[in-house]
Amino acid sequence: MNDTLPLPERPVQYTLPGPGELQTRLATYLHGCTGEAWTIGALTRYAVGFSWVTYGFDAWVAGSTDARGFILRLGPGDGLFAPYSAQPQFDALKTLEGGRVPVPRAYWWSDDPSVLGAPFFISERMPGMAPVPWSSGKDSGFDLDYRQRIGSQFVSALAALHTTPLTGSSFDQEGITTANAALRQVDHWAALSERWALKPYPMMHKALRWLRGHLPVAPRVSLIHGDYRLGNFLEQDGRITAILDWELVHAGDPHEDLGWAFLPQYAAGSGLICRLVPREDFIAQYERESGIQVSPASLHFYGVFSLVKIALTQIAAIRCFEDGTFNDMRMPAMGTQVVPALRQIEKLLA
Amino acid sequence: MNNSLPRLIDGMVATLRNEVIPRVEGEFARGQAYGVIYMLNSIRLRADWSPGFLGEQIAALNELSQTLETQGVDAHRLPEVTAPALPDLRALEASRDEGDRRVCGLIDWLEDHRALLPTTQAAAIEAALNHYMHRQIRWELKTSAKPMFAEMSSGTD
Repeated sequence: MNDTLPLPERPVQYTLPGPGELQTRLATYLHGCTGEAWTIGALTRYAVGFSWVTYGFDAWVAGSTDARGFILRLGPGDGLFAPYSAQPQFDALKTLEGGRVPVPRAYWWSDDPSVLGAPFFISERMPGMAPVPWSSGKDSGFDLDYRQRIGSQFVSALAALHTTPLTGSSFDQEGITTANAALRQVDHWAALSERWALKPYPMMHKALRWLRGHLPVAPRVSLIHGDYRLGNFLEQDGRITAILDWELVHAGDPHEDLGWAFLPQYAAGSGLICRLVPREDFIAQYERESGIQVSPASLHFYGVFSLVKIALTQIAAIRCFEDGTFNDMRMPAMGTQVVPALRQIEKLLA
Repeated sequence: MNNSLPRLIDGMVATLRNEVIPRVEGEFARGQAYGVIYMLNSIRLRADWSPGFLGEQIAALNELSQTLETQGVDAHRLPEVTAPALPDLRALEASRDEGDRRVCGLIDWLEDHRALLPTTQAAAIEAALNHYMHRQIRWELKTSAKPMFAEMSSGTD
C-alpha cells in the first residue's frame, strides 16, 4: 500500500485482460524493456492471495531454449486495496536484493494501466511451496523438525528485514520517525475504515480510540513487511526460498510485524506463532539476531492494532464484494471473520 | 419451492461437494466452489423464506376469507389467518445501524467527559456499553458457519 497515494471515493476501474491477451502484451512489453524478442508461455493463475492477481509464466528470448520462470503481479482496480501502485513492492525487493532476507529478484514494474491493464511488477519465480496458513485441527500440522528449521529461518528473515538500512531508499523519504510511526499507521487505517465500512462497528470504534490513547515510541524505524506470516513465504527442502506478498510494505515500528505475526488467526489453535515457534523462543531469537529489544507494551499495542487491521481488511473484502465489481467468493468469506477479530479485540481491551 | 430453506441449502452444498467439485478443473475454480459452499452454510444460519414471500400468501388467504364471509360461509370454515405485523427488514437493519452509530458516539462522549462524571456513573456507563458490544459479538459468533479457508485456498477437501 503506497501511503502517498490519495484515496478516491471509489477505486479506479481497470479492465484486466485475460491470460491470452496478457501473453501478447507481455511479449510487447518485454521487447520494449530489453530490445529482445520474447516468447511468452501460458499464464497460470495462482489461487493464493486476496488482493493482487498473481500469474506464473515461462518466457524465452528468441533463439534460446532456456526458459526463465517469472511471476507477474497485477493490482486490479476492483481489488481489495485499490488503487494500487507497484512501486513500493518493487522498491522493497530491490532494497533487499542480495541481503539476508530471501526475496525474489524484481525485474520490471509500471503503474501505467495501458501496458497490462493494471499496475504490475514482474519478478523471478522462486522454487518452493507456500505452507497453507489455515489448519483444521488443534495441532500445528507440522512436525517438530520442520517447525524448528523453518521457524528459525522465519524469525531470522524478520530480524534481517528490520535491520536492513533504509538510507537512500524510497522508504527513507516517507517522513516516518520513531515518534510518529504508530500514529501514521493508526491514521492510515482509520481513514480506510471510513472509506470501507458499510455499517458502524462499535468495538472497532472503541479499539481505534484506545490505539490513539496508547501510541508507543518505536525503538527504530525499520522496513515493515505489513503481512509477515505463514502463507507468505515459499519453502523447499527445509529452506525458506522467498518471502512474498510485499504489497503492504512501508517504514515503521518493527513491533508492527511482530504484532501481526503473533495474531491468533495464524496460530490456528496450535499455541505457536504462525504454527511454527513458541512465543518466548520467537522473541528471544529475534532480539538476539536483530539487537532490537521487544517492548511488552508495544507488542500489546501492535497486537490490538493488528486485530483492527485484519478486521478492516475483512471489512474491505465485504465492501469490494458488495460494490458488485467482481464475484470472488473469497471476499464474502473473509467478511465472515470480522466479528471473530472484534471478539479478540474485546478480550485484549478487557 | 416447497422444501425448507435449510434442507434446500444442505442439498445444494452436498451437490456441489459430491457432483460438481470433483469434476471441476483448476485449483482456483474449485476454491471458488468451496467459497460458495461456505457462504451457503453461512446463509443457512441466518435466513429463511422472507416475510414478504409468505405475507403475500397470508394476504391472499385473508382476501379469500372476506369474500367467502360475504357469501355466508360459516366463520369456523374460513381460512382467515391472524398474523403479526410483518417487519420491514431493510428498515430494521437501518435502525440497527443507526443505533450502532449512536453507540460509537457514546463511546466518544464517555471518553471525552469521563473526568467530569462521578466515577461510579462513568464505570456503570462503560460497563453497559461493553455489555452491549459483548452481546452483539456473541450473537454474531453464534450464528456463524465454520470457516472453510483451507478448502477455498487449496481447492481440495
